[in-house]
Amino acid sequence: MAPDRRTFLKGLGALGAAALVPGCATSTTSSGGGGGSATGEIALQSNLSAEQAKAAMEKLVEAYNKTGGGTVKLNTVASEIFRTQLPTYLTSANPPDVYTWYAGSVANSYAEKDLLLDVTSVWDSMGNYPKSMQTLSTSAAGAKIFVPTSYYWWGMFYRKSNFAKWGVTPPKTWAEFVQVCEKIQAQGIPPIGIGLGDTPWVASAWFDYLNIRINGAPFHRDLLAGKGDFTDPKVKAVFTKWREVLPYFDPKGKSFPFQEATSALLGGKTGMFLIGTFFADSAPKDALDDIDFFQFPIIDPKVPVAEEAPTDGYFASKKAKDPEAVKKFLTYLATPEAQELYVQNSSGTAIPANPDGKAADTPLVAKGKAMVNSAAELTQFFNRDSSDALQPTADAALTKFLDKPDQIDQILEDWQAAASKVFQA
Amino acid sequence: MTASAIEVKTRAGSAKRRSPRVSPLILAFVFVPFAVEAVWVFWPALQGFWLSLTNWDGLSAPTFVGFGNFGDMVSDPIFRTALKNTAIWLVLFGGLSVAGGFGMALLLQKERRGVGIYRAALFTPVVFSLVVTALIWRVFYQPDGLVDSVLRGVGLGDLVRPWLADPDTALYAVIVPALWRQIGYVMVLYLAGLKAVDPALYEAARMDGASALQRTRYVTIPQLKGVNSVVLSVIVIDSLRSFDIVWSMTKGGPYHSSELLSTYMYSTAFQSTQLGYASAIAVVIFLLALAVILGYLIRAFREET
Repeated sequence: MAPDRRTFLKGLGALGAAALVPGCATSTTSSGGGGGSATGEIALQSNLSAEQAKAAMEKLVEAYNKTGGGTVKLNTVASEIFRTQLPTYLTSANPPDVYTWYAGSVANSYAEKDLLLDVTSVWDSMGNYPKSMQTLSTSAAGAKIFVPTSYYWWGMFYRKSNFAKWGVTPPKTWAEFVQVCEKIQAQGIPPIGIGLGDTPWVASAWFDYLNIRINGAPFHRDLLAGKGDFTDPKVKAVFTKWREVLPYFDPKGKSFPFQEATSALLGGKTGMFLIGTFFADSAPKDALDDIDFFQFPIIDPKVPVAEEAPTDGYFASKKAKDPEAVKKFLTYLATPEAQELYVQNSSGTAIPANPDGKAADTPLVAKGKAMVNSAAELTQFFNRDSSDALQPTADAALTKFLDKPDQIDQILEDWQAAASKVFQA
Repeated sequence: MTASAIEVKTRAGSAKRRSPRVSPLILAFVFVPFAVEAVWVFWPALQGFWLSLTNWDGLSAPTFVGFGNFGDMVSDPIFRTALKNTAIWLVLFGGLSVAGGFGMALLLQKERRGVGIYRAALFTPVVFSLVVTALIWRVFYQPDGLVDSVLRGVGLGDLVRPWLADPDTALYAVIVPALWRQIGYVMVLYLAGLKAVDPALYEAARMDGASALQRTRYVTIPQLKGVNSVVLSVIVIDSLRSFDIVWSMTKGGPYHSSELLSTYMYSTAFQSTQLGYASAIAVVIFLLALAVILGYLIRAFREET
């Protein structure tokens, strides 16, 4: 594809905007990027830029365009650019109509600014969705602003053959978990893999899980919404628990990203890895048959069990040029057929949000689905339950804790100071 | 923002030398770029100054807070770390690349057999984008990578550490590849400067019995004054805008230990979406660059007249 003059000018615009913070920030009235067409065509802005996911999206859009219900134009943007530009898209004068995004607090924050289309009528066709999905898709003002289409789960992944070799079985409780760590450690293998170089947010999974296991999901959500305090003794209890297993973490995990931590796990260089199913995207297919996972160990049996099940889906701009056509498209996306089409063509570990949609037919996915369905509460992951703005404060605090657990009091004070700045902004 | 300030200066300088009658072509050459610049550079820069006086999340309307953002900086420990690291960066990266570049230029200025190969080898890193450089060096630094194996090979295995993940080494581990690239660049600037020195001066000095060291001290260095001001501007600007290499190697981490003002500005703007505060940091970067460069240029001009 030869770059024509328009893409060249667009590139210039992007350069000009990226050159300066203010330049970027004040360009809100221009460069919607993908919007603009007033021919009844819906512009779909997608951050699913990974190869498989992108191909799956293309198939999905093609299938919808064939139904004759309308025309959708897919515009795929690299996910990091999408994330930083989303506020600009939504506040521009001529925004794209529909966006891929995440359910929960990260969607609600845009609803609070009155930037999202009310899609309550789309939910009329979604009566079979579980209550948890409804809650996730409802704004603080009570309107439905989100259409969930798939979710995935987090768990402690391991290689079945290695666990057999080391003579350990998946633990259920914290005490059993510590024993498993000891046994693996005794074989000279770092029991817990992690990948914080470049992807420090992976550490948040540990914080999330320990917090929802010890203090419960409601406390966790309130804390992340700014209604709590990170210097709370209940938060410190999370780190006290975490310290019990710190000696079992792979010391090399600080240096490489989660993709390499995945390789370390598959290569038998670490024992287990707390990660979301997306790790499978970068794993060879033959190794996947040997992969299993167990639920994050139960710490306090009195706390209702919650699981991290980040939910993906779509929302639409309030300024959508043809709201009815947009709602029609969203209604299609909510159907089991559309979700199956996407799940089958992407990496295969995502589960359709529609309970009637069939997930990939593997024991691993069946087990994941069962775990999520049996959970009393669902959380979304640190940044999705709070905001992308709060995530860096967690990254700094948690990586520092892993390095210098003695300084926990100071770390929590700094975290609270950084977090309150984000909440005030 | 810093680069544009320099451009403005040079442009203003050249505009002085105009004849009373100006042809429309020259006017077009001046005002068309000026108009483009005004839209792409001056206007956003002015907006940046305005935004630095506000609180803005990028979504709602900015609220005016006066100099509140600048007040916050004083009590912001991350800002202090970033400022300190930027100073370290300026001194180490700037100082060593000038020393290294000048040294290499002196070594490689004489036309000998094969000298081109050495020059090319030193200049090659400049050709790579800094992101590529960062990728290469990350492979060197990775656990059990080249750096670790070499250290173990020479019996210094005790020194092995997670170079980019250790707060004590991360900043320096990033400066090394930045220098690796910058030395070649500065060398080329000095080589060009050395070529312009009149050989008769050296001959005269030699006749007067000046040693090699004296020739360098009293002939070469004074003759390079013009190049020095260019090198200084380049170094200061490059130091203060150093971003790509740090961002692609450590993202300012672990826990802000390798944060520079530029990376901190980016992360406050686009991760924490505190665009007002980020603009205030950008203003500080601008003022720093201006102060360093203006200070030097004023002195240089004074000596010339």
